[in-house]
Amino acid sequence: MGQRPIRNEYEIFLMKIKFFATYRDLTGRRELDIPAPSTAIALLEELAVRYGPAMRKKLFTEDGEISDDAILLINGRNIAHLDGGNTPLKEADIVSLFPMVAGG
Amino acid sequence: MNAWKGTILRIDLANGVIRKEALNMKDAQDYVGARGLASKYLADEVDPLVDPLSPDNKLIMMTGPLTGTAAASGGRYEVVAKAPLTGTIGAANSGGYFGPELKYAGYDGILFENASPKPVYLYINDETVELRDASTLWGKTVFETTDALNEICGESFKIACIGPTAENGCLFAGVMNDKHRAAGRGGMGAVMASKNLKAVAVRGTGGVSVARPKGFMDAITNARAMLKAHPVGGSGLPALGTQVLVNIINESGALPTRNFRDGAYFDEADATGGESLAEKYLVKNKGCFGCSICCGRVTRVPDGPFKSSGEGPEYEAGWSYGADCGVSDLAAICKANFLCNEYGMDPITLGATIACAMELAEMGAIPKEDIGYELRFGDANAIVDLTEKTGKNEGFGKILKLGSYRLAELYGHPELSMSVKKQEMPAYDGRALQGMGLEYATSNRGGCHVRGYLTSPEVLGVPIKVDPFETEGKPALLKLFQDLTALIDSLGVCLFTTFGLGLPELAAQYREAVGSDESDEEILKKGERVWNLEKRFNIAAGVEKDSLPPRLLNEKLPGGAAAGRVSLLNEMLGEYYLLRGWDEDGVPTGEKIAELGI
Repeated sequence: MGQRPIRNEYEIFLMKIKFFATYRDLTGRRELDIPAPSTAIALLEELAVRYGPAMRKKLFTEDGEISDDAILLINGRNIAHLDGGNTPLKEADIVSLFPMVAGG
Repeated sequence: MNAWKGTILRIDLANGVIRKEALNMKDAQDYVGARGLASKYLADEVDPLVDPLSPDNKLIMMTGPLTGTAAASGGRYEVVAKAPLTGTIGAANSGGYFGPELKYAGYDGILFENASPKPVYLYINDETVELRDASTLWGKTVFETTDALNEICGESFKIACIGPTAENGCLFAGVMNDKHRAAGRGGMGAVMASKNLKAVAVRGTGGVSVARPKGFMDAITNARAMLKAHPVGGSGLPALGTQVLVNIINESGALPTRNFRDGAYFDEADATGGESLAEKYLVKNKGCFGCSICCGRVTRVPDGPFKSSGEGPEYEAGWSYGADCGVSDLAAICKANFLCNEYGMDPITLGATIACAMELAEMGAIPKEDIGYELRFGDANAIVDLTEKTGKNEGFGKILKLGSYRLAELYGHPELSMSVKKQEMPAYDGRALQGMGLEYATSNRGGCHVRGYLTSPEVLGVPIKVDPFETEGKPALLKLFQDLTALIDSLGVCLFTTFGLGLPELAAQYREAVGSDESDEEILKKGERVWNLEKRFNIAAGVEKDSLPPRLLNEKLPGGAAAGRVSLLNEMLGEYYLLRGWDEDGVPTGEKIAELGI
């Protein structure tokens, strides 16, 4: 939380996506700044295209639904408690992507 | 006898008398084992008003019917006594290999009575059971004691023992087994020390039979396959351990920061998380008996001022020394946690007590000379120094060993102890996760995360996704989780199995092991019986009513996803009592007690 939106060389505001746990291994990075797709599911689709089949398998079920193994938080709120895959995205949003993890 | 061994050891420490007595099978069937069965023995035999550190308290180590079987993660045992930290019934659960070994020696549990006139340890080698002199072990650390007993008794013996902090009256001293596994919370180690009992060394060469071997194999094969297929048990926990939770709880705005004072988002959390631990200090994974998850971490800080090695930290300890103290130096967090294991202390309570001291010191309530230096949030050296001082019972450690409530009360601000019933809440903020707030308030052993872990549905979406901000439906969900947790702890299996298994799979393993034809619901009812028994003990003990620290009820979270929120405990508590069949003061009604046959 708390980071302000940044802009690329074309003055387009970029959204920050933070990767955690196994998503760091899949992407090879901790964060990614990209122009904001329109919705949460569009973002996941873009990530699947960008990082290939292993990422797609992690993000989506065989039926194309968002997998339980993809916990997507927008400004700290799980999209399951917003509007699911249809949750709209804005440039200032902070997006965090986790696999299903646990502990305690 | 199937699943249960049918024998418990009753040890009169004052007179050195050892008796082998038949397990009360009616109680075993009603209260299952481990947490439930030991609590039943305690409730029957100990006055709830007893001073926890007097000889009249009893200390019970108890396994469950699935302990030592091939059940998924079936290696747990429970240590039960009236708890010195809280005054509640104390029940602390541990894994490792000690519990199964006790059953292989032929015993479901051990009940210690009175106090020995001199330090002793209990030696168990199958049928041979002896109290032996422990004068030379008294004062030794957990690691030294374990090594010494393995030298004396043999490498194959499994050791449960206390460290020097227990002997020095630390109210959150744990009982440690297999060196690094802890029956950690509430001060079970302090009770053990008050009895002059340093350790139990056990070796067993028998086995555990089950009633319906074919059905049992089918049930455990199914359970193990489900665990392996689940993202948490199959890959998440094995890869990154429990510390992996740091980032998701933080990003959800629920990671309590600087004694809960600065809200629930820690800017430097990532440096303390499971990803960083794996990258910097992980040597290998480690599992308990019969576990396919292997969430344990063998870790080593190779160099620098905090050079050290050991196991952990687990998530809650990583938080208490990390975000709660405002510390982002993972090496210091590791070392403080290792010291807790070595000296035999609960790192959740100690880390949270140091965090409380940091707040009190920053506001000027603790004079600098009491601590010896200016104590401030974020001081990595201080968390190690104060942990060591508490372990050695030196300087300010003599106050820290009493826990945060007594510390804060001593310095005039009991409201700044982030505890429930005098036990420190762990690593989830009840303002951000409404269900966890209700869980803390109603826990039968004070602030605790393993008495109905609603973080699982509220953050992780397991087994269902529920909105952490909502209160609706939380009382019913919590009741279910509490009863199921009480059942699982009583079975002798690990709570982490619930990340892949539900009641049907757990109940199936129980039925086949003991030869029961009870329904899932009838088996779950045993968990409810355990919960009500514990509650009744606490009421008779005069434990304070269910509530939360005023900070959680009145101070809005300043930032993060849950900014502006407080705990809405009072919206949920009445409904929770109603669902429990309790009166409006939270007292189980006569009808409920009769229904459960307590």
